Amino acid sequence: MVNMKTTLRDNNLDTKVSAKTIIETIDLDFYYVPEEKALKTVNLRIPEKKVTAFIGPSGCGKSTLLRCFNRMNDLIIGSYIEGSVLIEGRNIYDKQVRLEELRNKVGMVFQKSNPFPMSIWENVAFGPKVNGVSSKSELDDIVESALKQADLWREVNDRMDQSALDLSGGQQQRLCIARTLANKPSIILMDEPASALDPISTGKIEETIEELKKEYTIVIVTHNMQQAARVSDYTAFMMVGEMVEFDQTNTIFTNPKKKLTEEYITGRFG
Amino acid sequence: MKKMSYFKKKGDSYIIFTATGLILSLAMVVLIMTIILVKGLGFFWPSDLVQVKLQDGKAYLGEQWAESTKHEFDTDGNRITHEEIQFKIGNRDLYGLDFIWLSRNEIEKMEKPKNAFSFERLGYGNFYGFIKSLNIGDKQFNYLDEQSNNAVEAAHDKAVKNRHEIKELENDINKLNTPLVNLQREISLLQLKENKTPEEQNELEKLQKEEQAVTDKINPEYQKLSKKLESIYLENQNIFLNLLTADNREKKLLLADVVRIYRPNDFNVLEKSWIYVKKFYEFVADEPRESNTEGGVFPAIFGTVMMVLLMSIAVVPFGILAAIYLNEYAKQGAIIRMIRLSVNNLAGVPSIVYGIFGLGFFVYALGGTIDQLFFSSTLPEPTFGTGGILWASLTLALLTLPVVIVATEEGILAVPRANKEGALALGSTRWQMVRKIVLPNAMPGILTGLILAISRGAGEVAPLMITGVVKLAPSLPLDASFPFLHLDRKFMHLGFHIYDVGFQSPNVEAAKPMVYTTALLLIVIVVLLNILAIYIRNRLRKKYKTSVF
Repeated sequence: MVNMKTTLRDNNLDTKVSAKTIIETIDLDFYYVPEEKALKTVNLRIPEKKVTAFIGPSGCGKSTLLRCFNRMNDLIIGSYIEGSVLIEGRNIYDKQVRLEELRNKVGMVFQKSNPFPMSIWENVAFGPKVNGVSSKSELDDIVESALKQADLWREVNDRMDQSALDLSGGQQQRLCIARTLANKPSIILMDEPASALDPISTGKIEETIEELKKEYTIVIVTHNMQQAARVSDYTAFMMVGEMVEFDQTNTIFTNPKKKLTEEYITGRFG
Repeated sequence: MKKMSYFKKKGDSYIIFTATGLILSLAMVVLIMTIILVKGLGFFWPSDLVQVKLQDGKAYLGEQWAESTKHEFDTDGNRITHEEIQFKIGNRDLYGLDFIWLSRNEIEKMEKPKNAFSFERLGYGNFYGFIKSLNIGDKQFNYLDEQSNNAVEAAHDKAVKNRHEIKELENDINKLNTPLVNLQREISLLQLKENKTPEEQNELEKLQKEEQAVTDKINPEYQKLSKKLESIYLENQNIFLNLLTADNREKKLLLADVVRIYRPNDFNVLEKSWIYVKKFYEFVADEPRESNTEGGVFPAIFGTVMMVLLMSIAVVPFGILAAIYLNEYAKQGAIIRMIRLSVNNLAGVPSIVYGIFGLGFFVYALGGTIDQLFFSSTLPEPTFGTGGILWASLTLALLTLPVVIVATEEGILAVPRANKEGALALGSTRWQMVRKIVLPNAMPGILTGLILAISRGAGEVAPLMITGVVKLAPSLPLDASFPFLHLDRKFMHLGFHIYDVGFQSPNVEAAKPMVYTTALLLIVIVVLLNILAIYIRNRLRKKYKTSVF
């Protein structure tokens, strides 16, 4: 394997990241089991209000990295990290950080849509409710604006009391996006949000992402390189737990610096 | 050869083998249910009365119950067999026994006289015989024909009405006396006290004065009521039938002591069905008579249902809490595995062990302490320090706790991980996630646990026998007198009723059908409670079905 450890960080610094950095990882190692790194010294700066895509072959650690940003990995018994993750300059692995506040600020959309077995309204209002919003009218406003942002309002506004499970797959995924938006996060993590959807639903999700990036920082994990090329401003290519290359999407897809990246993008492996 | 091997591959013989297992279990269930249904439901059918004349001149009137072949050895050692018929001849006050076996060889004649009567009495079981005459007051009417039947019926109605009125009057008198009785108790308590202080002496005199005043106040009303009572009582003493048995013995029967009169031989199917319905209703809705061998089982039904409900109220929250902690909060490891194993093993502990624990811990330790703290005025008579419905329910709750924990854990494990992660990712705390996502989704599992607990709890008898079940409870654990729910009271239970009637009864033969009927009722109640829980579970399942797209 190419030894990149020394160069990676400089690479990132060289990149002309005009926007402000919102997420920064410093020498991040992640272990599912002791002594076995799933992430190897990842150094990365994700710019604010841009779409950043993580690409790479299966098992390369892109989802693991994503889940470090809202500490979802904490649920995995026996796992631990070394190094730090800064969000808006603050290490989220500090003892003082409240998980609930962090996850409020860093929303997440999962690979498989996971609407709760409740009404559509209840689903979207779930986040605000657990975070202490109780007034019905306030919740109504939040639900409406979240659904509008997720481009679902037109389709469901006349059946808010119906079970969310009766929606189609694509609608369910957009509902999950709306649910995340209702918390007014600043960052949205998307873990292969369209991998289980048909092309039309995927297109809709991509349109939604296009809209959302005006206001939110979006980090998206995807298997689909075309998707990464279509929706993202920046792309990170990962392999076996290492960050191989991170640059503007254009650069990665047209003029990658690393041979490995080029091989992957041109489809020689992966 | 090739065909053979395919047959083997398909494993038809094994499929048949597995099917046999299912068929055997089903056959057992069907067999048990059929026996219980036939024997239990037949109990209420008014069977025909058969008059039997024997060769030696004896005569009996009764219901034909069973037949059997008896093998005996005669004096020469030869084996002889003869057919025997069992009759229920009733009239226990005359014959001593309700049942008799008669050999077919002895019987000269069997007939079904139309004017044979069956009397269900409050005491001494049934009476079978013929009516000679009816006495009302000092008038006597000889029994002649159909018209007389109506007269008998009217007189019976009157006597029963009087009987109810007597009961009501007695209640009224009791109520009237209650303040006086309470005063007298206080007075006697004070009088018993040695070395009275002046204040106590004053108090005593005051109470005695009050007693006099209350007596004066209620006396006119009391006199009125007791006079009325006496007159009705006397009237009822003079409404009676003169009966004749099959062997021409005479018997006087007060109509007030009769529950039901009917002529089965003269009744058609419709009339018999009506009696059947009435008897069935009596069985479900009335109190037992004659040491539980007659009458109804209502107190036992009530006690069973109430005990199961109390048990459910106690066991479900505990089971849920324990299961949530085990699954959501506890650090998974060797200790938790040990605890899980212990919980599973607890389900296998014999129920009598729980009963003894309930007696020692709940009744003596807990109940005894409660008595000393809150009911010391009535000691040494125990209030909670003796068996009662609360302690029995708690003992059963303990017994069924493992079942509920295990089922709830399964329900919790079945909650999709994606939903839990989704809730956490939205910034909910673990507790909010448990409350809003895990608990509602695990509800079907919890209800499964409840169903299993009900089935197990309703059928248990052994632990109840030492923690509060009695053969005959004077009052229900729930009634109109304050504080309405009497958790300290002893209660009746269908399971124990079966044991008591079937094996402890003075008249086992007569009580046998009652055992089947009570068993049937117990099964019906368990099934009904289960259906209720299953209905709720299915509704929840529909609501919380996980999406698949």
